Amino acid sequence: MQRDLGSLPLAPALRARLVAAGFQTVQELLETGPCGLSKEIGISKEEALEALQVVRQECHGDAARTAGGSGATRKCTALELLEEEQAQGFIITFCSALDNILGGGVQLTKITEICGAPGVGKTQLCMQLAVDVQIPECFGGVAGEAVFIDTEGSFMVDRVVDIATACVQHCQLIAEAHQEEDNLKALETFSLESILSHIYYFRCRDYTELLAQVYLLPDFLSEHSKVRLVVVDGIAFPFRHDFEDLSLRTRLLNGLAQQLIIVANDHKSALQEGKEHSSTFRLGSAIGLAAESVPSLLP
Amino acid sequence: MVVLRAGLCPGLTEEMIQLLRANDIRTVVDFVSSDLEDVAQKCSLSYKVLVAVRRVLLAQFSAFPANGADLYEELKSSTAILPTGSPSLDQLLDSGLYTGEVTELMGAPGSGKTQVCLGIAGSVSLGLKQHVLFLDSTGGFTASRLYQMLRAQAEDEEEQAALQRIQVVRVFDVYEMLSALQELRDRLSQQVVSSAGPFKIVVIDSVSAVIYPLLGGKQSEGLAIMMQLARELKTLAREFSLAVVVTNQVTRDSSTGPLKPALGRSWSFVPSTRVLLESKEAAWEKATTQRVASLAKSPRQPTGIQVELDIG
Repeated sequence: MQRDLGSLPLAPALRARLVAAGFQTVQELLETGPCGLSKEIGISKEEALEALQVVRQECHGDAARTAGGSGATRKCTALELLEEEQAQGFIITFCSALDNILGGGVQLTKITEICGAPGVGKTQLCMQLAVDVQIPECFGGVAGEAVFIDTEGSFMVDRVVDIATACVQHCQLIAEAHQEEDNLKALETFSLESILSHIYYFRCRDYTELLAQVYLLPDFLSEHSKVRLVVVDGIAFPFRHDFEDLSLRTRLLNGLAQQLIIVANDHKSALQEGKEHSSTFRLGSAIGLAAESVPSLLP
Repeated sequence: MVVLRAGLCPGLTEEMIQLLRANDIRTVVDFVSSDLEDVAQKCSLSYKVLVAVRRVLLAQFSAFPANGADLYEELKSSTAILPTGSPSLDQLLDSGLYTGEVTELMGAPGSGKTQVCLGIAGSVSLGLKQHVLFLDSTGGFTASRLYQMLRAQAEDEEEQAALQRIQVVRVFDVYEMLSALQELRDRLSQQVVSSAGPFKIVVIDSVSAVIYPLLGGKQSEGLAIMMQLARELKTLAREFSLAVVVTNQVTRDSSTGPLKPALGRSWSFVPSTRVLLESKEAAWEKATTQRVASLAKSPRQPTGIQVELDIG
């Protein structure tokens, strides 16, 4: 494969040495082998072996994809995507006006951002959604679990208890009105305890914890594969103060954004962000253009 | 800077390479730029053999000059102009997207870049019946919206076929994007001479989402990867006669300064055409599908011309 070395995820120092020694494409590297490589560029045999492994992995990934192998999980035609989208459920918010403008509810595999001035109800809506995602399928829900990442400490468990109790009662009323088998069976597992036990709560006090939590999310989600909603309440909060280096802030926010998009896409979950506003009249986002470009839906 | 290796060309044997290496000649550039008489003496190799090897290496590795008339003929036969699906945008771009070039759409969030990209993909797939490769790095590709756009223009059977011609690859990392482009390159080079090959256009939405997390700070790795991506896009466009469309964000120097494209000065040399998309009024006050597209850089048209665009 005539792939240029610069396009592979190698360590910068290693790449500099390879270029200085005259290696340009992947093929030259693979032909040399680990012993020749360690002699040519002056690194230990283990490092040479590691580097060659990385290179081989990338190239085999390419080859598998060209041959139409199963590595191509993120590649499909628009028609297949359309069918996937049409089969996807929504997380209803129990407010029909809001559901209408969102096109049915909060979409899965997308990031939805809620912004508003302090006190307008963002955390309340997030808590409502954490309960709504668990509604069983026979009642029109997605029967999933929720992850709640809290940076402001505004998550009130007693309020969630109120919301959950109301939701269970609502479903009971529907079940009584329709008297169907599935509804009654589902209601047996849909109770206050089960709702609360399926909301995984994380408290992050500063931006490092938030970043760490988001980067660890994929592992968590692969263990808890029923999670369908990730809420980050207050994504702007840890980044607003004490940040002298603004370009670092932009980089971190963008990296965070990409990681969240990966989580939403790969694990078929919806992501919610509550974002705080500066209390001036201008209703722009507190962080500006860099962070605004993340979400694909903005209610 | 290719390393000299046995079998690189006939006449270059392993012993020769060892002798040359002992005299500090390790790459093709070293060989070709050294004084061959000197080398013949020091390495005790035959001068004739060295000259023959040099001739073959030069033929293999150097670029050949072409004359302008040939280039023009080649361009006329291989360039195609692809319609974007929006007549006013076509007018801005001097009748459409030219293959062999990189075109950039830039704008603030919500200005309509993804919508325009969907429109382009739809129009090329439906109107020209060509294949489209859509690299989505923001998760913003919505097939139902594309379907809606196609429905407005065509009958039922054609839309399904059109949707099948659009291949969507989700890449959220710059290395994944480079792998996807490499895969495209392999597929295209395996197609023998046909100029009506599978793909005619590559749409990348967006390039800044994957590069932004790497730029800035003390390391220059981000810049290196960005230029690697730039080189890959330009060579793909030129070698395989593809039109490449990328989207980019905009930033400001200060909170009141004018908008300027993101990714800095180095990236500004990459696209040959740049279009800035803006809303006519502040987006939240009135729901509008009207946008204003202005030409910020173009090799053919005067910059500064503006047209109105409807992305609804």
